[in-house]
Amino acid sequence: MTKLDFIMALYDKLSDMPHSEVEERVNFYREMIEDRMEEGLSEEEAVAAVGSVDEVVAQIKGESASERLNKDKIAEPKNDKTNASKIALLALASPIWIPLLIAGGAILISLFAAVFSIIVSCFAVFGSFVGVSLYGVVFGIVWMLSGKAIAGLALLGMGIFLAGLSIFAFFGSKALTDLTVRLIKRLAAWLMRRIGRKEEA
Amino acid sequence: MDNQLKRGLLDVCVLAAIKSEDSYGYKIIKDVKPYVELSESTLYTILKRLEAANMLIVHTAVHEGRLRKYYRITEEGLARLEEFRREWQEVLSIYQFVTKGESVNDKA
Repeated sequence: MTKLDFIMALYDKLSDMPHSEVEERVNFYREMIEDRMEEGLSEEEAVAAVGSVDEVVAQIKGESASERLNKDKIAEPKNDKTNASKIALLALASPIWIPLLIAGGAILISLFAAVFSIIVSCFAVFGSFVGVSLYGVVFGIVWMLSGKAIAGLALLGMGIFLAGLSIFAFFGSKALTDLTVRLIKRLAAWLMRRIGRKEEA
Repeated sequence: MDNQLKRGLLDVCVLAAIKSEDSYGYKIIKDVKPYVELSESTLYTILKRLEAANMLIVHTAVHEGRLRKYYRITEEGLARLEEFRREWQEVLSIYQFVTKGESVNDKA
């Protein structure tokens, strides 16, 4: 058989395979035949040495089939599909969970606002104690000096008393702030763990 | 020879054939022939597999007025050969243990 006949026969019998694949393999065999001819074999001998057309076709089909099987195993498109369906479900259910999420967020924000305003008012109390005690001390002395001795003394006394209270108020506010911060941290950590566990599941 | 075993060995045979210099299809078959039979079809599949595993690269060159594909081994290919050598050192010592004291003709 001539080289050309061999190649034409291959193309003919492999017509059901994708053309680019066939071309690559036929070129490979053509090269083999030509190399043997270069070694000194005649065209007929070289073609015969490579194998009969049917043998080669069977080998090609056999090898390409197992190749494609292995490729499919490696590709594993299953994971992409499950992720896609998860996303689709999320999108479909969004009218339900989006408002819920917003409501939840709003509740959290107002909780924070409430706690924050409590802390702010504690410091405000502290501030007003300081202010009034300063006033009392200063004007107490002024009054005493300007003759209103007893009133001035009372005012001074009240000022000092309030100064002492303001120290308590300061430490109280600070303690409340620290407590709040610690509670928030613990709440955040607990939330992270819950979310983490859900993702694992 | 066991088919599974043969398949694994053919990969490294092809790599060894292109280890010291670039080679081409028919030459690889000739080089390997004294040791194990290698058909064109099988060689094609092995070359494709080794290329996919980055153990060899292909380039085309003109030879006597026609195009010929040359195959060159890569670092990964050399590493695979080294791995094979180490694996079979072990096999060799096990073989020696198993056949210790026996001569090839012993049937005991």
